[in-house]
Amino acid sequence: MRVTKMSVLGLPVALSALLLTGCKGHRHSSGTDEFPRDQTLYLAGSQWGDPTSFNPLAESWQAAWPVGDRFNLMYEPLLSYNSLTGQVEPDLGTLVSKDNDSIVVDINPAAKWSDGKPVTSDDVKFVFDLGRRYKDAATAFAVEFISKIDVKTVDVKGAKTERLSFLVDKKGRDNPLVILDLLQAIRIVPAHVFEPLIASNNNDLGAVKKLKIDSAPVVSGPYTLAHYSNEKIVLERRDDYWGNAALHDGKLPAPKYIIHPIFKSNDAFAIALQKGDLDASQTFIPRIWQKFKDGVGTWDVAAPYYVPGAIPLLVINTTKAPLNDRNFRRAMAAAINYADIKELAVSGYANDIKSGLILPFGQEGKYFDEAEAAKHAVKPGIESAKKILADAGYKAVFKADGSLDHTTDKAGNRLPTLSIKSPAGWSDWEAMVNIAVKAMRDAGIDVREGFVDAGLYWPAKPSGDFDILMDKPAAAVTPSLPWSRFEATMSSRNWAPVGGDNKMNENQGRYNSPKSKDYNPKVDSLLKVIPITTDSVALKKAYTELNDIFLDDQPAIPLVYLPEQFYEFSTSSWTNWPTSKDPYAPPLLPWVGASTKILWQLKPVE
Amino acid sequence: MLKQHPTARFILQRAGWYLLTFLVAVTINFFLPRLGTSNPVDIILAKSTGGLSAQAAREKEESYLKEFGLVKLDGHGNILRDTTIRMAKVWDASKQVSVSKPDTLIKPIKASSLDQFFTYVKMSLSGDLGTSFQKYPKKVLDVIVQAVPWTIALQLPTIVFGWIVGNVLGALAAYRRGLFDRVFFPVALLVSSIPFFVFGMLLVYYFAVVLGWFPAMGGYADEIIPSFSFELFGSVAYHYVLPFFSIFLILAGGQAIGMRSMGIYELGTDYIKYAKWLGIKESRVLIYLFRNAMLPQLTGLALSLGTMIGGALITEMIFSYPGLGMAMLSAIQNNDYPMIQGVTLIITTCVLIANFTVDIMIGFLDPRVKAGLQMGGN
Repeated sequence: MRVTKMSVLGLPVALSALLLTGCKGHRHSSGTDEFPRDQTLYLAGSQWGDPTSFNPLAESWQAAWPVGDRFNLMYEPLLSYNSLTGQVEPDLGTLVSKDNDSIVVDINPAAKWSDGKPVTSDDVKFVFDLGRRYKDAATAFAVEFISKIDVKTVDVKGAKTERLSFLVDKKGRDNPLVILDLLQAIRIVPAHVFEPLIASNNNDLGAVKKLKIDSAPVVSGPYTLAHYSNEKIVLERRDDYWGNAALHDGKLPAPKYIIHPIFKSNDAFAIALQKGDLDASQTFIPRIWQKFKDGVGTWDVAAPYYVPGAIPLLVINTTKAPLNDRNFRRAMAAAINYADIKELAVSGYANDIKSGLILPFGQEGKYFDEAEAAKHAVKPGIESAKKILADAGYKAVFKADGSLDHTTDKAGNRLPTLSIKSPAGWSDWEAMVNIAVKAMRDAGIDVREGFVDAGLYWPAKPSGDFDILMDKPAAAVTPSLPWSRFEATMSSRNWAPVGGDNKMNENQGRYNSPKSKDYNPKVDSLLKVIPITTDSVALKKAYTELNDIFLDDQPAIPLVYLPEQFYEFSTSSWTNWPTSKDPYAPPLLPWVGASTKILWQLKPVE
Repeated sequence: MLKQHPTARFILQRAGWYLLTFLVAVTINFFLPRLGTSNPVDIILAKSTGGLSAQAAREKEESYLKEFGLVKLDGHGNILRDTTIRMAKVWDASKQVSVSKPDTLIKPIKASSLDQFFTYVKMSLSGDLGTSFQKYPKKVLDVIVQAVPWTIALQLPTIVFGWIVGNVLGALAAYRRGLFDRVFFPVALLVSSIPFFVFGMLLVYYFAVVLGWFPAMGGYADEIIPSFSFELFGSVAYHYVLPFFSIFLILAGGQAIGMRSMGIYELGTDYIKYAKWLGIKESRVLIYLFRNAMLPQLTGLALSLGTMIGGALITEMIFSYPGLGMAMLSAIQNNDYPMIQGVTLIITTCVLIANFTVDIMIGFLDPRVKAGLQMGGN
């Protein structure tokens, strides 16, 4: 009896001892014969969950990395936007000119598909025309902006070149800014592959979108799919990539393989980066400076460490009392301690926030008028918030211990407790909301945190089912900023009331209803006119006017500036990452837009 | 007729009850996620319609509703629509008054939950668990088939070893008492009350980050393409150690505590006293004790074996380990009906089979149940 017991007890111990001795010295970062470490780049953060489809016609949320979204490795766009320089850089095409009538792009005569066929205007027209042919095409939204694509052949430096003119749809959205966005957001696919595929599926695009396109895809980009599973995606370099000669002086990208492991939690990224198992990542890692000693780096070695690009903000449901009172909204904005949010919620990864929806530096800086913003912005501080509330007739009732009990309105009626809806588990957002709530309660505003499952958060957003909502509009840095941030926050273009099946995909706070007597037509007319304003003085004036209205009415409360991506890298296996000292590419993972060129500049550690 | 076969009668009766439980459980699993206000298409749309005009967004919504079988269709596969006209208040700027204007709403007719239920039953019976919304166009069955081997490989050995080791140690502590028990009991209590995620993270920090002995995450090394090779097997085993211990120790501790108190209780019972008084050998008495104290532990084992298929979510997240737990979590968060239904169907089936097996086993192991059967009762 006793002998049996001991053997049972000993088994797991023996097992672990075996594993321990058997595997000692097997260092993860050493690589294998198949994927030598000095030829393999490990990057993560762009794919969460099982990869299910590599179909470039699928919706962007369905297609796995590197096919969905703005990834340039397998399928490429015509142009790439460099958010550091504000320049539009060539890819499959080269920008020739842009004005209010058209955007003209030359197709790169060297551009080729992996099956040897050239990339032509047929491929470009195929992608953009799909939206006209099928309402369920992923590119259907482009139809509102582009009325027609004109093609002619010209001679550029002795080479016959196809010149495409994307004509601005003047009767439609009349917005060349967004067309510029689209030209770097929409990936071109081989028409000679997909057109027959659609035909063989009885012209049913839905059936084609279901195909996985995961074996031997015809691509134009520098890498192609080598393997994928639920644990990782592996790409292999295409040594015959047309762009090596045409765009990169004949050089090959340094890594032969790119492996994207699929992690299940945020902590995994920091650990893997620190251990050198991961070469670059894009997740929020608190106190990044403590990791510098482990060979982890980011854009800058001093605060704010990253390059700001987006503004998380509180969207206010302006249809609900007391939130329909702009004095109340301004009091909320005054109460928040923005320095605390910057230091505590995002580890100081931001510059000090200035008033309004325009980033006061970088590419947007030229549109920001600080003196004018200061005139319209609310005076920050708890006392200022209390004064605004008192002047507007609100009263805060505090308990004996000094904490807030409730707030009453002008008539003395008790106001309902307001809630800030935010996805549970998004730790940096949660911290921002906690800090905002504390400050607002100190000022006498009865508001609480409302952390909900993502499954409740997302549908609540377009339907307006919230008091206050955490959001980050226009999160990607594109040529249309800051216009797209204003549009997402203030536009009444698709006005729909709260309730029923009504949805709004911008201005979810239902600010500035065209059906109310307080409607300010200036907001929508400025949003309409900015994209077609070319004079820089007039443009700054229009932006300033719009920002002033935003500050006066406070339909949303910007909280802090955040980078487009939390760009982090490890120098344990690969060096020469772009930094503020060597800013040869924007601080993004080397597959997003103009940052793809990082791959040609990386150097393996000897 | 079955009167002469009490055992067969017992088994059939149990099976009948389990079948009924199964049907009720499947029905509840189906309707529960649909009770909420949000549907999966809303979630997908909210993530993908930024910048679309109202008309384009509506068209996109309809294409999704149709694709996922959430709207009623006519014979030609076109969406059936419902038109309502209501009065809406609009501000007339020229007259400076609010006026009422008719507002026409054309909406697709949504498929009712009951319609969906019948489709679901029909499909399930033919072995089709449907297509995941969130992992579209992946089949639910594919997701399960890919994840379940990992889940079982992680959970089955931890649960079985944890159960055996825990129970043996618990019984030993109960029987021996003395110094062994005084050291063992508080340690077991401490270990079993550490939350899984804390323990897992401590293991990662110490053994993976500080000492670097084991990999911090993953089911196998990132540089290996899965194939039947010794390299893969070695890597899987190496990556297995930390996740295994993160569950095993806590589980064993919990089992040991349960077994210890059951053992102490049984030690004070009359039959043990009587057996000792009769002078029966100690090892024999220990067997009596073990057999009786084990019964509730056995039920516990069956439950853990049944639910294990649902995945060890916390362990999966900490170690980025493959498995069904994360798939289930994201399915629930995104209201991915087919995925939730598919996974709960598997879990329900496994729990019921495990329980059924234990029920039958206890029928044979527990003298009280056996005696009852032989007397013709149930």
